[in-house]
Amino acid sequence: MIFSPDLITGVISFLFTILIFSYLIGDNPLFRIAVYIFVGVSAGYVAAIAFWQVIVPRLVYPLAFGSIYEKAFAAIPLLGGVFIFMKISPRLAGMARLTMAFLVGAGAAVILAGAVIGTLIPQVEATINFFDLNAAAARNISVVEAAGNGSIILAGTVFSLIYFHFGARPKADGSMHRFGLIELAAWVGRIFIGITLGAIFAGVYAAALTALIERIASLINFFNLFGNF
Amino acid sequence: MRVINAIIAIATGVLILGGYFFPQLAGVQTLLLNWAIILAGVATLVGIFNLISVHTDKIRRGEKGSTYSALLVIGLAATLIFGMLLRPQHDAMQIVLNGIIVPTEAALMGVLTVSLLYAAIRLLRRRADMMSIIFLVTAAILFLGSATLPFGDIPLIGTLIRPWVSQILALGGARGILIGVALGTMTTGLRVLFGMDRPYGGQ
Repeated sequence: MIFSPDLITGVISFLFTILIFSYLIGDNPLFRIAVYIFVGVSAGYVAAIAFWQVIVPRLVYPLAFGSIYEKAFAAIPLLGGVFIFMKISPRLAGMARLTMAFLVGAGAAVILAGAVIGTLIPQVEATINFFDLNAAAARNISVVEAAGNGSIILAGTVFSLIYFHFGARPKADGSMHRFGLIELAAWVGRIFIGITLGAIFAGVYAAALTALIERIASLINFFNLFGNF
Repeated sequence: MRVINAIIAIATGVLILGGYFFPQLAGVQTLLLNWAIILAGVATLVGIFNLISVHTDKIRRGEKGSTYSALLVIGLAATLIFGMLLRPQHDAMQIVLNGIIVPTEAALMGVLTVSLLYAAIRLLRRRADMMSIIFLVTAAILFLGSATLPFGDIPLIGTLIRPWVSQILALGGARGILIGVALGTMTTGLRVLFGMDRPYGGQ
């Protein structure tokens, strides 16, 4: 029998699938063995990817083969990288704060821009577009249907946002309550959020079910493969 | 030192953010983002070294579960060494990827099917209030409505109710949640850029 890479992959894959599925009879050592190996192997793989696809092309290559400017610009993240490695030692960990400050500043700017350009503006625009009656007419949707659906979506958006408004004033008896109108809107918002979470649950469940079917199919294929030998 | 850290964080953030709105700053933005990507890569390696250090400590002290830690360290070290020497595209690394990582992720996702079903049943048994019922009824409608059956869609549920619930009702709530998350993210980012929050240890 020739041990081809596909056969080795199939055997290992079969073994790990069985070990993970053993969780269905309860938490057990076999499941833990698979999970710990999975975590270790994944971490090692991520480290290799980070090294070969980020550090080598963006740092090592410019330092070794780049022009004088490229070397100068690559020297700064090299220094920053050395500072980050000092986090390993408790005595020198303070030096890493300079680099961490840089990373936090960059991260804050990226998430801020991402939130505005990638979520806030597109979502607000999409909500407004539901009231574009010309576009609805072009898609053979009646004005009443377009306006009705748009209003429900707008209501869902606004009431869901109001649900997350937790500002409250203390009453004479010391209890905290939201303003009556806000409380009512938040109650409606809860219904919309419940429906949304139900839809998300259904989506996640469908994805999990697909993965389960794929794994069971791979186990059956593996048995068939050995049946042929 | 604290002031210098804050200045670095604020200046970096302002320059990168400025690059999105002023084309003159696009070059500086690209340079700073490139540095940030490199440093994030180095930080990933440091995080992995920390994982090794935590588990080797557990093994050295002979704590409960140290056998599992040993397996983790062996798996990590072997993959890391082979990955560094052979590169991730090598056949041996592809066996690791397609034999361990992908099937384990898929199997864990498959196990989630049972866990989610169990959680849904528990939810109904422990807290059968209006919210739980709305949540589960919506999930059931979407599930039944999208099921592939021999005779096609279930009348009314598959053709009318499911599209309306998922594309109108659920969309409204999802949009509210997304806008809420974006507003929260914006506030967090602005607090860092104004120096009010200093998670890098400025205060």
